[in-house]
Amino acid sequence: MENGAHDPLVPKIEVKNFSAFYGKTQALHNVDFTIFERKITAMIGPSGCGKSTFLRSLNRMNDFYQGFRVEGSATLDGEEIYSPTVNPVLIRQRVGMVFQKPNPFQKSIFENVAYGLRIQGVKSRSVLADIVEKSLKAAALWDEVKDRLNGSAFSLSGGQQQRLCIARALAVEPEVILLDEPASALDPISTARIEELMQDLKDRYTIAIVTHNMQQAARVSDRTAFFLDGTLVEVNDTTKIFTNPEDSRTEDYITGRFG
Amino acid sequence: MAENILPEKGLSSYRKVRNALLGSLTAVAFILAVTPLLAIVYIAYDRGKAALSLSFITTLPGGFPIGIEGGIANGIVGSLILILLASLLSVPVGIWAGLYLWDQSHTRMAKITRLLSDLLLGVPSVIWGVVGFFVFSTNTGFGFHWGFSGLAAGLTLGFIMIPIVTRVTEQALRDVPRSYIEGALALGASRFQVVRGLAIPAAITGIGTGILLGVLNVLGQTAPLIFTNYYNTGIPTSLVGSNGSVGDLAMQIFIYIHEPSKALHVKAMAAALVLTVIVLLLDMGIRLLAWGSRKYAQRMG
Repeated sequence: MENGAHDPLVPKIEVKNFSAFYGKTQALHNVDFTIFERKITAMIGPSGCGKSTFLRSLNRMNDFYQGFRVEGSATLDGEEIYSPTVNPVLIRQRVGMVFQKPNPFQKSIFENVAYGLRIQGVKSRSVLADIVEKSLKAAALWDEVKDRLNGSAFSLSGGQQQRLCIARALAVEPEVILLDEPASALDPISTARIEELMQDLKDRYTIAIVTHNMQQAARVSDRTAFFLDGTLVEVNDTTKIFTNPEDSRTEDYITGRFG
Repeated sequence: MAENILPEKGLSSYRKVRNALLGSLTAVAFILAVTPLLAIVYIAYDRGKAALSLSFITTLPGGFPIGIEGGIANGIVGSLILILLASLLSVPVGIWAGLYLWDQSHTRMAKITRLLSDLLLGVPSVIWGVVGFFVFSTNTGFGFHWGFSGLAAGLTLGFIMIPIVTRVTEQALRDVPRSYIEGALALGASRFQVVRGLAIPAAITGIGTGILLGVLNVLGQTAPLIFTNYYNTGIPTSLVGSNGSVGDLAMQIFIYIHEPSKALHVKAMAAALVLTVIVLLLDMGIRLLAWGSRKYAQRMG
């Protein structure tokens, strides 16, 4: 069964019969999938398999692509993410995202982390300073930047920039954090730091990560989903997926026969 | 080490020749690009220096033929009024249109708008002038009936400026990395917050360049002024009606250089130098503004 009977699985995001299209191209075919609260869910699969599309669908980041549309149901705490009455801005406040390439703003380190709060109208310098410090500590970056909070975010290394982006996402206190290949542009040491960080964060947040790196999925995640050609082939406990997959295509992929 | 990678004798002779050839082409292109400026400054200074003095830029023309005494204060004030009027119209409209083309870039409406805007860029300024005359200046039939006036000319020049500002604004916004925009959207920023707080600040230097290009274009126009404003040797108290014409440096140079008077030719060249200095000051001013607003945006949300 699922790991730890004392730790009941609570569904956070439930996706049913979910399809996604870019214009006439169908990128996802009838995906059924549940992301559980305070677990790390990894999505693996070869390039173009739809895993990133799926991830970006969960906080409506695909809305900005011309001709993108979805069918089926995706709910966050039971609420339809794609309901016409839902404000996508509020969804994105609850479901944060960190991208493949670090994308800090052309602002100071402090203002990068404070940005999400400022746009929500927080003005008090002391409140901002508090949350910035908390977020940077949570992203394991505080000790490295505490003496230069007013320095440019671009003065940081790539790994530090990515942790800054994580801190920036944490500052708005999301419930879910989506990580889109967060370590693929980083060196192994920075990658290890991000992976450690994910373990710290999962006590408080629900995390979904897309990764090209199967070892990474095996190291960090509680559950793993394998996507192929826009379909969800298999989703299960990570140990199960990597030791005894049910689908032969999953086995072929994780053993390196393709992809 | 690098020494081990490079061949002992450095570049091969083929690459040396190619390097020298392309290097000199670059140098020639550079010289050709800056020579006109040097020529303008040299000739204007050489032929105009006799008329240069502080009173040249602070006094109005007088004497007969008019301008033989006094300076070009009418032209300086008039040109600045025209720039201001043209910018008041074109900067908000042009930036807004550029934002629209950027945000809706794939829609049919935006494609049509972009095409029409580009068509306008190619309309000769004399046609703008004639249309400006019929819309703003003529005293009969359809139109505003403002006469030859600063307002008629300022708005005509403003309409000339709109497609320039639009085009450059759109391009500057396109150059803002998509990842940057997505980062803000993923934090729950609304589209308006992203545009105001990130996209425009990131594009502000480019937008400033667009405004500058438009302003400089306006500053050099004479054809539209012939039909909508002509010229004034004084400074008007009103910008509409029969006494509403303003002076204009480009028109002033054009008129002076046509007069059979050596003294006016000297003044025309001095005025050309003043115009060049105004261009330089505007350039630096707009750069400073863009720099300042970027700094401001970096501190604020």
